[in-house]
Amino acid sequence: MTRLIAFLSSVRWQDIVDILINSYILLRVYILFQGTNAFRVLVGITSLWILQEVAASIGLILTSWAIRGITAAAAIIIIVVFRNEIRTALQVRNLKAFLWGFPNREQTTPVDVITESVFQMAKRRTGALIVFPGKEDLGEAIHGGLSWNGTVSPEMLLSIFWPQNPVHDGAIIINGSRITEVGVLLPLSQRQDLPSYYGTRHRAAVGLSERTDALVVVVSEERGRVSIAKDYTLKPVIDSEELAQAIRKHLNFPDISPARQHERERLKLVVAAGLSLLIMTGIWFGFTRSQDTIIALNVPIEYVNRPANYEILDTSVDEARLQLFGSSALIKSLKQGQVGVRIDLSKAAEGRNTFTITQDDIILPPGVSLNKIQPAVIDVTLDIPTTRELPIQVDWVGRLPENMVLSSVTVTPETVKVIGGSKTLEKVSTVYTAPVRLDSLTRSGSVTTQVVLSPPSLRVASASPEKVTIQYLLSERNSPAKK
Amino acid sequence: MKPCVMLTVFCCILCAAFMTIPSAQEQPQEASPPSPAPSSDAAQKLGLKQAIMCERVENLTPVRPGLAFSVSSGQVCCFTSFEPVPQPTVIYHRWFRRDELSTQTRLRLYSPKWSTYSVIQLRETDKGPWRVEIIDQNGHVFDVLRFSITD
Repeated sequence: MTRLIAFLSSVRWQDIVDILINSYILLRVYILFQGTNAFRVLVGITSLWILQEVAASIGLILTSWAIRGITAAAAIIIIVVFRNEIRTALQVRNLKAFLWGFPNREQTTPVDVITESVFQMAKRRTGALIVFPGKEDLGEAIHGGLSWNGTVSPEMLLSIFWPQNPVHDGAIIINGSRITEVGVLLPLSQRQDLPSYYGTRHRAAVGLSERTDALVVVVSEERGRVSIAKDYTLKPVIDSEELAQAIRKHLNFPDISPARQHERERLKLVVAAGLSLLIMTGIWFGFTRSQDTIIALNVPIEYVNRPANYEILDTSVDEARLQLFGSSALIKSLKQGQVGVRIDLSKAAEGRNTFTITQDDIILPPGVSLNKIQPAVIDVTLDIPTTRELPIQVDWVGRLPENMVLSSVTVTPETVKVIGGSKTLEKVSTVYTAPVRLDSLTRSGSVTTQVVLSPPSLRVASASPEKVTIQYLLSERNSPAKK
Repeated sequence: MKPCVMLTVFCCILCAAFMTIPSAQEQPQEASPPSPAPSSDAAQKLGLKQAIMCERVENLTPVRPGLAFSVSSGQVCCFTSFEPVPQPTVIYHRWFRRDELSTQTRLRLYSPKWSTYSVIQLRETDKGPWRVEIIDQNGHVFDVLRFSITD
């Protein structure tokens, strides 16, 4: 009991939000993809992944590697093979529908009207081709077609497939209670095993069923027979009842009352939500609560809230070595920037300040804990920035020709204003130029170079130039010397 | 012997100097050419007449003056000449390599005028920009001579 209370008290509100958000994401994936082939394959891939983790944990090296490879390949294949389904699932009208809405289970398709009209056309030997889309997008499988968007009715169906109608040869697409397109060209099946008495209409129906999950109803013009094509097969239909059943099954129409169906859907959602919560809680605990891995990291120390009038002159260390522990998944996924040591200098004074690094100074991602830190204490020396005017001296290097003497040097400007910590500047009395070589000098002249500030914490005041001109006078060895 | 002739005879006295660091061995030297002492010495201030860097000093004269000295020359001197020197006093030659004090030489001055110099022996590690501050015992800086030790 005490352990349970201790455990519950260690769970933060962020953890609960974390689990809830991810559970909802999982539930949304289920809602958007349920019933599709892609979803089924996704479940298969997830199972493979779990299998691979189990294989790895019990030390089946080859098996875990093989399953990992298969999982990776399958993940790519699912995107390629089921791109149409994925597109259809993600094609929603707005963000609200994507995040909150439920895909409409169109239940308004007037199946009886359609079946009666189909058999009426069969009796009159009027050829017809009616497509009921499934979950997959038909966009890439069909061609042509005119947008129609008319309500399904016997008259409408009969008039579309009336032989004198210009679009009667094409297929119609029924979405819900509306005929969305007419005169649509379907892909023809290339199969050789279809009976020879099947005409173009039948081959088109089979062709579409080979490429998509749509159901296609065909009415033979010559023999007045009704057939349905789905999943590569073309099946004759004897009566309207059989046809209605096939359409209802394809459209996922229940045999029960709408109220009961609604109840069932709700129950299904509640179970899915519960399962999502359960799965995510399990994953979350697996990821964050196991503390089986220890890692040591060198982390740069960040100094913040430095008083405005001070500059950091020196620090005893620039980085700290942190020993962290947590679940292997979290430790492995640690990235630069997620872990940091931040020292608050707001209460620091001029001179040397000693800070003990506490837990509050360390930034860690959730689920990762600190085991040890080295060093535990750091020194930071602060200084007040000040400006000082310093003379510039040329840093000559190399060697003059034996018979030459460097007898006079003038630097313009003679001084430079330097900004830096007061204690640093106390130790600096001259600013030197970049090295200027003597070897190449053969006669008097001038050269322009820049000043080099040391230590690097110093900088030239904005009013002072960083470059200087050096005028030098060379004379022969025996000529009179000048100061 | 006439008094004026006697006045013209002076002795040279070596300056006392300190060896402060081993990287630059300094040789204290002092010399002063005899000259007539002015009657109002006490009222005058010590004045630096000449300060110059040179390779060596011969007969109280700087030889091979310059601002860049090769380390192969072996040594470098800071020659200073004071006039007037109202009363015997002490000055210092403070040798800095970059901003680090390398050595300091204490040199005595005598009335009425005095020339003196300090010298350091050069080593490979002495290359770089140098300066010599010529100061009195109160810290007053008479002059700063800047030069470089090069290849």
